[in-house]
Amino acid sequence: MSDRAVILSKIIKALAEYLKRDSGTINETYHLRDDLGLDSMAVIELLYKIEEEFNLQIPDEDLPGLTTVGSVAAYVEKRLAPAPPASRASATKTAAKPKKKG
Amino acid sequence: MKARVVVTGLGVVSPIGIGVSEFWKAALAGRSGISAITGFDPFPMEGYRSQVAGQVREFSPERHLDSPHADRVDRYAQFALVASKEALADSGLHMAKENPHRVGVIVGAGMGGMVMGEREITQLYQQQKPHRVHPNFIPVITLNSASGIVAMAYGAKGPNVTISTACSSSAHALGQALHCIREGRADVVIVVGADASITPLVFAGFCSLRALSTKFNGQPEKASRPFDRSRDGFVMGEGAGALILESAAHAKKRKARIYAEVSGYAATSEAYHMVIPREDGEEVATTMRLALSDAGATPAQVDYINAHATSTTIGDAVEAKAIRQLFNSRADKIAVSATKSLVGHTLGAAGALGGIASVLAIHTGQIHPTANYDDPDPACRLGGISRTIQERKVKMALLNAFGFGSNNAAVVLKRYAA
Repeated sequence: MSDRAVILSKIIKALAEYLKRDSGTINETYHLRDDLGLDSMAVIELLYKIEEEFNLQIPDEDLPGLTTVGSVAAYVEKRLAPAPPASRASATKTAAKPKKKG
Repeated sequence: MKARVVVTGLGVVSPIGIGVSEFWKAALAGRSGISAITGFDPFPMEGYRSQVAGQVREFSPERHLDSPHADRVDRYAQFALVASKEALADSGLHMAKENPHRVGVIVGAGMGGMVMGEREITQLYQQQKPHRVHPNFIPVITLNSASGIVAMAYGAKGPNVTISTACSSSAHALGQALHCIREGRADVVIVVGADASITPLVFAGFCSLRALSTKFNGQPEKASRPFDRSRDGFVMGEGAGALILESAAHAKKRKARIYAEVSGYAATSEAYHMVIPREDGEEVATTMRLALSDAGATPAQVDYINAHATSTTIGDAVEAKAIRQLFNSRADKIAVSATKSLVGHTLGAAGALGGIASVLAIHTGQIHPTANYDDPDPACRLGGISRTIQERKVKMALLNAFGFGSNNAAVVLKRYAA
C-alpha cells in the first residue's frame, strides 16, 4: 500500500471505531459532518486520535480545511512529508473555530 | 406576600484587582487582566496551544485572611473567603446580631479544588504510595469546601448549598438565593462564585477542547475580545465575586445601604449538547424572557445586559441573535457589556462578577467598556456594545450566563424603589 492508502485506512479505522460502524461503509469522499454526522466536538475527538496515531499537532487554524475523510488524509500526508515543510500558512485564518458554549 | 430581595454588600477577587473599588476602577478604564501564564513550571508553555490567562496576581491568603482555616482550603475557596469577607463588611451586617439559622451560604463553583487535586493525583500515580495521600485531600477537593468554609468563618447556619453548572454556576447561585429569601427560608444569603483552576491539567483540558484563544499568545491583553470579528476562543480567568442578598424588610430594619434589587431568575436546559449551543438562539431568548417574567417585567424595561459573551466564535453570535430575537427593534438601544473582556472567563466566578458589574452599573450609572471591541463582527453586531465607558441611568439590568452541559441562566437586577 502507498503511504496515502495506509494513512487513509488508519483514518477510516479510527472513524469506524468512533462511530461504531463497519469501516467498509466509510469512504474518502464522505463529509465528516454531512455524511458521517460528526459535530464540531466529534471532529475534535477524531483529530485527537489522529494526532496520536501520526504523532502530529494540528493547530486550530488548520481545522476549517478538514471537512472530508479525504481532506484529513491529504492533510496528514502533507504534514508527514519530509521536505519541504508543509505549507501551513496557506490555511485560512478566518474560518470558524469549533463551536463552544463555555 | 413574598419577600423582595436586595443586594447590600459586594466583594471581589479578580485579575484586575482584589477589592471592589480596585476592580471597578480598572473595569471602567477597560483595563485587561490577561497576561502570559506563569506558575506552570516545570511544564513548558510551548506544549500548550493557548498560553494566556487572567491570573490573580499578588494574592496571599495570609495577607487577606485571618481565618485559621485559610491555609486548609484550596485557592478557589481562599478567593471565596476573601470576597465574602469584603462583602459582609461592605453590607454592615453583624453576625452577632443575626439569627444564625436565617443566614445561608450559596456558592457557585465549576471546578473546585484543582490545585491540590492535581498535586495529589500526580504524586500518587508517580510514587505509588497511597499512604502518602494528604489527609486533607478529600475535604479540599469536595466541591462544597468553599460553601463550608465560608459558613464556618462567619457562623452562618442557614441553608448551605453549592451549585456546579460549569460556567453559569454563580448566576444560578444568585437565582437560587433569590428564591431562598423570597420563599422565606432565609433572611440573608451570602452568595459567592469562585474558581481557581488555571492549573496544568485543567488548562490542558480546555486547550484540547479547542475552546481557548490561540492567536494572541504574543499579545495577551488582546486575547479576550467578545463580539469582535477576530475573536478566536475564550481566555481562562480565575477569581471570586461575593454578593450579600437579603430581604428588603431585613435590610431596611437594620438601615442597610441597598445597591439594587434582585427581582427575577430563570434556569433552563437546552437539552442539546454538552458543549455546543443551539445556533438559533431560541433557548437563550426563552431564558431571558422567563427571567423577566419572573421579575414581573417586560423586555421594554431593560436598559443594560451583562452578556455571557466569552469571546468564542459561535457563543457570542448566538447570544447576540437571542438578544435581537427578544428585544426586536430595541436590541440596539440596550447597553451591552462583556466583563470577560477584562478578566477572562472565570468559570464559576463569572456569574457573580457579571452580577457585581450589573449591580454597580445600576448603582453608579456607569457601564464598563468591552475591551478589544475594535472591529464589530457583523454576526453579532448590537448597537449598545462599546469599547468605551457608557454613562446612563440603568433602572433594570439582565445578567446572562450559559454553561457546558447545555444549561442557561438569566438574572434580573433593578434599581430598588420602596
